[in-house]
Amino acid sequence: MSRKIEKAVNEFNQQMKPVSLWADAWKRLRRNKMALISLWVVGFYALVAVTAPLFSFLDYRTQVIEHANLPPSLRPAGELVIEKLEARHALIKERVDEGMDSLKPEMERIEADIQKAKDELDTNPVNKKVYIFGTDSLGRDMLSKTIYGARISMMVGLVGTLTAVFVGILIGAISGYIGGWLDNLLMRFVDIMYGLPYMLIVIILMAMFRKEGQSSIVILFVGIALVSWLTIARVVRGQIISLKNSEFVEAARSMGASTGRIIFRHLLPNTIGVIIVFTSLSLPSFIMNESFLSFLGIGVSAPLSSWGSLVSEGANTMELYPWQLLAPAIEMTVFLFFMNFLGDGLRDALDPQSKNRT
Amino acid sequence: MSRYIIRRFLSLIPTIFIIITLSFFLIRFAPGGPFSSEKNVPEQVLQNLMRKYHMDEPMWRQYLRYMGDVLRGDLGPSFRYRDNTVNELIGQSLPNSMLLGTIALLLASLVGIGVGIISALKQNHWQDYTVMSIAVVGISVPLFVIGPVLQLVFAMKLHWLPLSGWINSRDGFKTLIMPALTLSFPYFAYIARLSRASLLEILRSDYVRTARAKGLAEPTVIWKHVLKGGLLPVVSYLGPAFSGIITGSIVIESVFAIPGVGRIFVQSALNRDYTLIMGEVIVYSMILVLMNFVVDIVYGFLDPRISYN
Repeated sequence: MSRKIEKAVNEFNQQMKPVSLWADAWKRLRRNKMALISLWVVGFYALVAVTAPLFSFLDYRTQVIEHANLPPSLRPAGELVIEKLEARHALIKERVDEGMDSLKPEMERIEADIQKAKDELDTNPVNKKVYIFGTDSLGRDMLSKTIYGARISMMVGLVGTLTAVFVGILIGAISGYIGGWLDNLLMRFVDIMYGLPYMLIVIILMAMFRKEGQSSIVILFVGIALVSWLTIARVVRGQIISLKNSEFVEAARSMGASTGRIIFRHLLPNTIGVIIVFTSLSLPSFIMNESFLSFLGIGVSAPLSSWGSLVSEGANTMELYPWQLLAPAIEMTVFLFFMNFLGDGLRDALDPQSKNRT
Repeated sequence: MSRYIIRRFLSLIPTIFIIITLSFFLIRFAPGGPFSSEKNVPEQVLQNLMRKYHMDEPMWRQYLRYMGDVLRGDLGPSFRYRDNTVNELIGQSLPNSMLLGTIALLLASLVGIGVGIISALKQNHWQDYTVMSIAVVGISVPLFVIGPVLQLVFAMKLHWLPLSGWINSRDGFKTLIMPALTLSFPYFAYIARLSRASLLEILRSDYVRTARAKGLAEPTVIWKHVLKGGLLPVVSYLGPAFSGIITGSIVIESVFAIPGVGRIFVQSALNRDYTLIMGEVIVYSMILVLMNFVVDIVYGFLDPRISYN
């Protein structure tokens, strides 16, 4: 069954295509070059993070002890190992020539190592590996490590945001629509929660309730989700209050729609723009909070690693092997940078009046 | 006005009370205790320790006893650093944290506002673009990335600044430069964006047009009319900024080995040093709540549209 929709007309009585909120927003977003680039970059990150397990060469667990602490390079690892050994050999040979005989056995051992490495250069497939981000102290590929770190960080960000949105919408909608003493109670509660130094409480929570060796990621989710819904609850409540006395809601009510139906079918769809903007802007802040905790050593624990824990590991060895710090640090910064730009772009697109606000 | 200030001040008391109560029970209900990590302690000694610190009493009595002590300004003995009371530990470390935090906040607000004014007045010029790009980098780079990277470049490679330490060391005030810059950077960035946005809005407002139309010189318009209204959002952001600086200092103090409150915060939670962590939470929240109170009052004085009657 098709119903004929009356065509929209402009002020000159010409027919025109009705523009939906989404088409309009997409048009504005497309005009924003920076936001488009950001969309591509964020999409690329998400794609890599999701599909990483499909590629067997992205292996973050295999330790090749001979390949420890190799710098980033496009050449195969075998050659780099030989180069490194030769450099060390030259250094020791100089000392030996100066008369330090105690170093002689060390020199001979390195010579043997060089020979062995040269022999194995073509026979051992492991030497064909290329580490474009270098390796860590156990000879693991930094590229794979940071990609798997990204998976954890992005998952925490996503789960945190989704929880925040879900709980926030529920509380905000109920509080706004029902109003009265319930609204008062809920909003007082939100006010008090806002006053708490919440990162301090999350830190205490994480430090005291996590068990060593056991994956503490669940506590991390709880800790972050505990306080994250406050803002969205306030925003949704405000929107609902401003809409609940409008005519279309009254019409729905007069036709006997239930409270749930009014909230979910009529009111919430009108707040979706605000929710999307909030989501895209809070994702980077969740990722930052999680990494903050992981950097302090109380976020995700040992077998898992996130951007934060990788940066913290890298900071310990940065003097000798700076790439172990820079690889996760740059990867994370680039993601957060474009995510923030995308959030700004989405806000400008969905809520043009807010343009130029921060 | 004074009635509002008094009422607002009194409302701080329940907030602090809730914070203390919440953290007290949160900490007590966590698994493990302050003495559980010490192995091979004879049963009798453990019991004596528990008795000495009143931990054998029911929870509600411990709570009342603690609240009574706090009201008298006594935060109790530290469970881990047995020779020190919590008051001593915090008394030694708080001035260092306060110094760092104050410098960072001042740096962030002064530079942030200055830069925000320039880029609002030069909107869409290269100055604006440069500054705003730096600002987006500022809100995207986490503190714990900036800190180590600055150390790598300026201490390890260039040897311009000391790697870590505090002003009482040989390097003196040079040790302050990197931590203060790191800690202020994200807030500088946010304040710059905030002040630029609100100044742009004010620059387009009717009363500024009126001021220009009646022939006021441009500097007078900017100083007397634009800045006063345009900087209000920055003032109200100072509260959240301060709370961010407090949490940020936990990372900064451990990265730069600064003997402040933040450096022992995580460790005291891991140690289950009940009294020390409670003391830190209380001190932090008092500072935070007071800071928000001051910001509120100052905002009321600055914004003529707000009346408290």
